[in-house]
Amino acid sequence: MAVFLQSLISGILIGGVYALIGIGLTLIFGVMRVINFAHGDILMVGMYLTYMIFTLLGIDPFVSVLITFPLMFLFGGALQKVFINRVLDALAQNQILLTIGLGLIMSNTVMLIFTSDYKILTTSYSSATIKVGGGVSVSTPLLISFLITAAITAALYWFLLKTDTGQAIRATAQDRDAAQLMGINVKRMSIIAFGLGSALAGTAGALISPTYYIFPQVGSVFTLKAFVITVLGGMGSVVGATLGGVLIGITESMSAVYISSGWKDVVVFVLFLLVLLFKPSGLMGKSRT
Amino acid sequence: MNNSILKSALIALLLAGLLIVPRFVESPYALHMMILLFMSVAQGQSWNILGGYAGQHSVGHAAYFGVGAYTTMMLMHSKGVVPWVGVWAGVAAVIVVALIIGSICFRLRGPYFVLASIAVAEIMRLSAINLTPLTNGAEGILATEIPAFKIGATVITDFVTKVPFYYIGLFLVLLTLGVTYWVQHSKLGYFFQAIREDQDAAHSLGINIALYKNIGLVISAVLTSLAGSFYGIYVGFVDPPTVLGLDVSVQIMLICIIGGMGTIWGPVLGSLILVPLSEALRSNMITDLLVKIGMVNADSKIGLFLKENLSHAHVLLYGILVVLVILFMPDGLMGFVKKLALRRKREAV
Amino acid sequence: MAILEIKNVSKFFGGLAANSDVSFDVHEGMIMGLIGPNGAGKTTLFNCITGYYPPSKGEVIFNGRKMNGLDPDKVCMLGMVRTWQKVRPLAKLSVVDNVMVGALARTGSLKVAREMAMEQLKVVRMEHRTNFLAGGLPIGERKKLEVARALATQPKILLLDEVMGGLNPAESEEIIQLILDIKQRGLTQMVIEHDMKAIMRISDRIVVLTSGEKLTEGSPQEVVSNPDVISAYLGEPHA
Repeated sequence: MAVFLQSLISGILIGGVYALIGIGLTLIFGVMRVINFAHGDILMVGMYLTYMIFTLLGIDPFVSVLITFPLMFLFGGALQKVFINRVLDALAQNQILLTIGLGLIMSNTVMLIFTSDYKILTTSYSSATIKVGGGVSVSTPLLISFLITAAITAALYWFLLKTDTGQAIRATAQDRDAAQLMGINVKRMSIIAFGLGSALAGTAGALISPTYYIFPQVGSVFTLKAFVITVLGGMGSVVGATLGGVLIGITESMSAVYISSGWKDVVVFVLFLLVLLFKPSGLMGKSRT
Repeated sequence: MNNSILKSALIALLLAGLLIVPRFVESPYALHMMILLFMSVAQGQSWNILGGYAGQHSVGHAAYFGVGAYTTMMLMHSKGVVPWVGVWAGVAAVIVVALIIGSICFRLRGPYFVLASIAVAEIMRLSAINLTPLTNGAEGILATEIPAFKIGATVITDFVTKVPFYYIGLFLVLLTLGVTYWVQHSKLGYFFQAIREDQDAAHSLGINIALYKNIGLVISAVLTSLAGSFYGIYVGFVDPPTVLGLDVSVQIMLICIIGGMGTIWGPVLGSLILVPLSEALRSNMITDLLVKIGMVNADSKIGLFLKENLSHAHVLLYGILVVLVILFMPDGLMGFVKKLALRRKREAV
Repeated sequence: MAILEIKNVSKFFGGLAANSDVSFDVHEGMIMGLIGPNGAGKTTLFNCITGYYPPSKGEVIFNGRKMNGLDPDKVCMLGMVRTWQKVRPLAKLSVVDNVMVGALARTGSLKVAREMAMEQLKVVRMEHRTNFLAGGLPIGERKKLEVARALATQPKILLLDEVMGGLNPAESEEIIQLILDIKQRGLTQMVIEHDMKAIMRISDRIVVLTSGEKLTEGSPQEVVSNPDVISAYLGEPHA
């Protein structure tokens, strides 16, 4: 029972970060119908940014989120304006290829600058744990990152539901043409959505940097995970992505414990294929025909 | 008419030239480059049949490449099966894998198909890492001893030099080109392209979509698997990231995208650009050139940095090329050339 | 003899009935007109007949054979082919290649298929466009290309979904002549059309759909003088 609880809790904690990654991807898809294959690489850039801020300025990774978030927002917005914007009406495969290309550029530029060595960001609390009782303990950095994730997600929900810009983004996601007719600046919303998506991915990168290896190719794992999460939750659904993230977190940690850590990703991908096959609209998505 | 005779003559001449190259070229490096080129053409052409003609943009072709490579290598390494037999075991395995993948992925369209194809390839890669007793896990399989190829008692080749590999590579190129030509000039090609252009319209015209997609996939997968087996034997080493990684899938696709999808010469053109460029980067040729023309000092910080790092930059180059191609010539180089030719014609008229 | 029998066909999407309990027969050699206001379920009915949607209830019987659950390609191979309201040219293929795709349903030989395709291009008077890219054609010719491509599959019945939609009067007239030509060859046709004048001219019989249900059926004269049809088209007084 303790083992079960333990893996459930760590699943939920890491799931929070996954949710952040998934929400970013789903926002971008919702507003632009573009599947961002560079999502994991953007996360990777966030990791390196955090690493640099930590080593050069000595700022704690959880604090540096305050710097990472706006920087990554600008980075994402610029990516949208310069590249993605030009393929909004192109074939889906061309959009996919463009983002794959951008991802390759990011990961390999980072590799040129930092080499492909694994970097570790060690904080005083990197391996600290908090005992909860009943033989269950929680990793301190995971717990902190989960709390920050929860705060960001809450803020994001507030932004999307209560602010004018947030509502405009949701309107654009629902029907781009109608939104444009209603006088919404769809181009601007796209830039904001891509910026926001990137900021969320970058922040997720920052939050996991104390507990993960940092290397240029780390992104592809997260790109794939982000897809699984968003498809699971229903492409374009923010609530779905939140739930999907937590669900994937739990699935991973459960299968690591009860199957084996080597196979946990396989379990996730098999789950992904099953969802694609039997409920392609996702758990929260409306069926589209 | 005259034009097509000229074309055939040119191709025959080129082929004759390629056949006698090893007689005159002894440098193993030059032969190695040619072999890499052949491998790239074969990979690209294989993908082209499914991706370019049938419009099913698989980003999971590493699955077929890797299964071919692994099967041949595993059989040679642990059971002593000679590669020219193992290749066929690889083909058989790949057909099974392809049909399973086809039955799953072809129920999906567009981006969902792309995602599913990636997921399947990733499952294969992770399985190769975890099925240690079979695949030797993350360490991969090293098997460089290839038994001599004999017919009766006569040794045809002992695979010591690169020459036999050169001819096998050339054969693969001719095979993939031939299959593509055949597809293009048969009912299959018409059906593939109809599916690519408009699946619903194709369906209404009596085309069994699932059947023809699966035919395209199996042809494409079998050819990719041959290229994979060839790679394994030639390099003598396979491990999960080098034959089953997402990079491999992307690279295979890139050859066609840069050259031009759905054209017979696209993958050839793509390979002619990609292989030398990435090789030039890998072997520091570009840095040496920059030093030679005096743009950078070899001992300066920049010179050292370039020497150190540029050799890893070929993937960066792929990325830049993809972005440029998608933004500025989405139909690839072949499409670009055709457009130029059309414009010229129009101006001439 | 009825070549196509629609028996109590219903199609539900969620709780909404796009077609409910529609029945009629199409006899060999005739042109059956299918009319109704927007959203009356005409295209849905085409989709149910040609295998794109399985009907929720009822039967589609073609040449004495039950078609429910057959895929569109099987439907085509059995001799029933449709065109699309929103044309679907194979854009990057030439005009003749487009039609050849249709002909290849009946032959494995490219040479034979090319001959068959050229024949159909003659029928629609588009020989001069043989080597043009389908994606670059003007709308009128795209519509004709659709018809040629469908004809190349050598159907026993041709289902035309608004082939005159978006055309100017001269182009529409050309299509009307084409449909009458095809009738002369003995091919059965079912035609969805908005243009009442056109449908009156070409149809032997007309079925009127409103809100997914069959309102009435009869000769063009019967239909046009039916007060229910007039009110369905002109709208209820309060609408």
